[in-house]
Amino acid sequence: MSFHYGVTQERDWNALSDTEFRQILRAEFEAHYPAELRYAPRRLRWHENKDWYLRMAEKGWIAPNWPVEYGGMGLSAAKLLIFQEEVERWGIGRYQDHGTLMLGPVLLRWGTEEQRRQYLPDVLACKAIWCQGYSEPGSGSDLASLKTKAVREGDEFVITGQKIWTTLAQDATHMFVLVRTDFEAKKQEGISFLLVDLAQKGVTVRPIRDMAGHEEFCEVFLDEVRTPVSNLVGELNKGWTVAKSLLGFERIHVGSPKMPEYGLTVLEKLARARGLWADPVFREKYGALKLDVAHLSDAYNHFTGIVVRGEALGQDISWLKVWATETFQRIADLVVDTAGPFAAINGELEIAGTRIDVLASFYKARPPTIYGGSNEIQRNILAQQVLGLPRK
Amino acid sequence: MTEQNETIDLLRNSAAGFAKFDGKRIRGWRANAPGFDRAHWRQMAEQGWLSILVPEAEGGLGLGVEAASAVAGELGRACAPEPFVMAGILAPALLAQATNTALKAELLPAVLAGETVVSLAWQPATGGLSPDATEITAKRQAGQIILSGEARFVSPAQADGYMVLAREQGGLLLAWVPADSLGDSLVEEAGPDGIPSGRLRLSDLRLPETAVLMSGNRVAEAVQTALDQALIVQSAELCGLMQRSLDMTLDYLKTRQQFGVAIGSFQALQHRSVDLFIQQELARHATAAAIQKAEAGASGAALSQAASSAKARAAEAGMLIGTQAIQLHGAIGFTDEYDLGLYVNRTMRLAASLGNAAEHRRRFDDLSEGA
Ligand SMILES: Cc1cc2nc3c(=O)[nH]c(=O)nc-3n(C[C@H](O)[C@H](O)[C@H](O)COP(=O)(O)OP(=O)(O)OC[C@H]3O[C@@H](n4cnc5c(N)ncnc54)[C@H](O)[C@@H]3O)c2cc1C
Repeated sequence: MSFHYGVTQERDWNALSDTEFRQILRAEFEAHYPAELRYAPRRLRWHENKDWYLRMAEKGWIAPNWPVEYGGMGLSAAKLLIFQEEVERWGIGRYQDHGTLMLGPVLLRWGTEEQRRQYLPDVLACKAIWCQGYSEPGSGSDLASLKTKAVREGDEFVITGQKIWTTLAQDATHMFVLVRTDFEAKKQEGISFLLVDLAQKGVTVRPIRDMAGHEEFCEVFLDEVRTPVSNLVGELNKGWTVAKSLLGFERIHVGSPKMPEYGLTVLEKLARARGLWADPVFREKYGALKLDVAHLSDAYNHFTGIVVRGEALGQDISWLKVWATETFQRIADLVVDTAGPFAAINGELEIAGTRIDVLASFYKARPPTIYGGSNEIQRNILAQQVLGLPRK
Repeated sequence: MTEQNETIDLLRNSAAGFAKFDGKRIRGWRANAPGFDRAHWRQMAEQGWLSILVPEAEGGLGLGVEAASAVAGELGRACAPEPFVMAGILAPALLAQATNTALKAELLPAVLAGETVVSLAWQPATGGLSPDATEITAKRQAGQIILSGEARFVSPAQADGYMVLAREQGGLLLAWVPADSLGDSLVEEAGPDGIPSGRLRLSDLRLPETAVLMSGNRVAEAVQTALDQALIVQSAELCGLMQRSLDMTLDYLKTRQQFGVAIGSFQALQHRSVDLFIQQELARHATAAAIQKAEAGASGAALSQAASSAKARAAEAGMLIGTQAIQLHGAIGFTDEYDLGLYVNRTMRLAASLGNAAEHRRRFDDLSEGA
C-alpha cells in the first residue's frame, strides 16, 4: 500500500512472547507516564494528558487495536488484552479515545478508502479528537427514536438537532453522529451515520457539570451544520447497522475485573486506616465482595480465552458487564459505608496518616451501569436472547 | 484432544447416559434405608466412578477432580440420591492414602467395587471445617485403641464401616470402625432430601490396634486434601442441580399463562431470571477455576482456597436459585409432587454439608489473609 497512515511499527509485537510484550509495555508506562496522573479520580481533560498521548502517537502506540497497514500496532486479540491490562494496571487515564476505539474500526469496516485516508492519519497523530454523538434528550435507551435530522442540499447534508451526554465534546474537533435521514421508514431504518467537523458555524458545545462536580460530558447543539455527502459512512439509512457493528471487543472490556480490584484495594486501605480491618461485620461484607471479584475474574478469563482462541463471543457476554459494574458499585457503596463521617468530605483527604479519596470510587461507579446499554437493557437482552423468555 | 480429555468426555457421557432424572426412584428411596440404592451404587462403581481419584497403583483410575466433577455435574442434573461425593470420592481418596497396607488391601478393592460403603466420621457439632476440629479422642492401650467422643453429620449414615478421625496424644489418627461394632452408638438424623446423616457417640469403643488406618503427621494433610477435593466435586454437583432448577423454572415461565400472557414476558420476572442466570454462570466459572487450580497441582492452603472459592459460590447460587425457583413457580413449586422440591432439598443438603457459603467465604478470606 503506497499511502502512509502513521508511524511504522518498530517490531512485530505479535511475534513476542506475552511476557516480553508485557515487559516492554511496563517499561514504557512506568518510565514515562506522569505519576500524578495515575488512577485519576475523574476523566482527564486533553490539556492534562495530551503530552502522554502525543508521545504514544509518536511511538505508534496510539491505536493498538488497528491493523499495522493502517498505522496501528496490529495486535492480536491476546496481545490487545495484555495492552489493556497493563494500561489499567498502571492506572493510565483515558483521553477522548473514540477516534481509535470506535471511528477507526467503523471506517475499516464500512468506510471508503477516501474516508480512511482523509481521517485516520489525524486520529493517529492526535490532531483530530472525535466524540460520539448518539444520545439525545428524548432518545437514550430507545436510541432508534432519535430526531436530529439531516437533509440533503446539493453535495451536503444539513444537520439540525441536539445531542447530549457527549463525552468530552469540549475537547473534540470532530463528531460521528447518528441522524435521521428518512422520516417515513421504520425507526431503525431511517438513520444514517455521518462524520462532522465541529469547527463550524451552528455548532454549540455546552459542558454539563456532573454530580461529582466535573465536566466530562456535554450538550451539543447542531443548527444547520453542514457536512459533505462524502462523509456518509455506509449506505444512506443504514447507520443503525453501522453503529451496532461496534459492539464487539468493548463488551469484554467493560467486564474487566480491574476497576473492582482497584476498588477492593481502596476499601482495604480505608478499613485499615479506620481501624475496621479486623471488624467481623466489615470482614463478612468484604469477604463476600472479594469472592464477587474473584469470580468475575474467573469468568473474565473464560471470555478472554474465547477471544484469544479467535472464536466468536455469544450474546451471553452481556452478563459480564452487569456483574462487573454492579460489583464495582457494591464495593464503592461499602467504601462510603466504611468511611463513616469521612464520606461527608469530598476529594483526597487524610485519615490516620493515609491519603485517600473516599468519594472518587463512589462517583466513578455510577455511570457504567447507565452507559454502554444500561444494565436494565442488558437484562432485557439476556432474558430474551439468551434465556429465550418471551417478549411482551 | 489429549488422552485425559478423552477419558473425561467418556466419563461425562456415560454419566449423562446413566444418570437420568427419575422422580419415582428418588421418592422411593426417601423413606427406605439406606436412603439410596445399593444396586445403583454398584453400577456406578462398575463404571469406575468410585475409583476416579484413586491412584492407578492402588487399583484406581488415577484421574483428578476434573473427571470427578464431570460425573458429579451429571449426577446433580439428575438429582441422584447416591452419596457420590462423600462415599464415592472423599472416602476412597482418603482410604487410598492409608499407611496400614494390610487393612487397605482388604478394604479398598471392595470400596471401589461398590460392595463396601464407607463414611468419614469427623465433624464436631460446631461444624468446624478443619480436620483438627475433631472431638473424638483415641487412647492406645495394650494393643488396643479406645475411642470416645462425638461426630455429627456422618454421611451417608448407613455405611458398612466408618473411617473415624480421632485425636490421640501427639496427633491425629484415622481408625476403621466396622458398622457391626457400633451397637447403638450411631443414631440417624433425617436430611431434607430424605437421606439421613449419622450422629456418632462413642464411649470407650475398643478396637484392635490393627484398625488404625494411619496416624501421625500425615493424617491432617491427607484428610484436608481429600476434603478439599470433595468440596470442589460437590460444587460441581451443586452446579448440576442449579442448572436443572433454573431450566425447569425458565420452561415454566415460558408456558404458564396468567393475565392472558406467558408469565415469562413480565419484565420483573425476566430480570430476576437474569440475576439467577448470572449466579449460575459465576458458580460454573468459579468451579471450573478451582478444578483448573487443582489439576495444575495446587495443594495445601492454595487448594483449600480454591475449594472454598468454588463452594462459597456454588452453595450461595444454588440456594438462591432454588428458593427463587420456588417463588417463580408459585404454589406448585411448594408441593412434594412437583420435581423442583427434590432439587431444592438436595441442594439444601449439599449446600450445608462440608461447610456452607458463609463458612467458606470466611475460610477464603482467612486463607488469603495468610497468603
Ligand atoms: C458518563 C456518561 C457518558 C456518556 N457518554 C456518551 C457519549 O459520549 N455519547 C453518547 O451518545 N451518549 C453518551 N452517554 C449516554 C448514554 O448512552 C445514555 O445515558 C444511555 O443510553 C441511557 O439513556 P438515558 O440516560 O437517556 O436513560 P433512559 O433511557 O431514559 O433510562 C432511564 C432509566 O430507565 C431504564 N430503562 C429504559 N428503557 C428501559 C427498558 N426497556 N426496560 C427497563 N428499563 C429501561 C434505564 O435502564 C434507566 O435506568 C453517556 C452517559 C454517561 C452517564
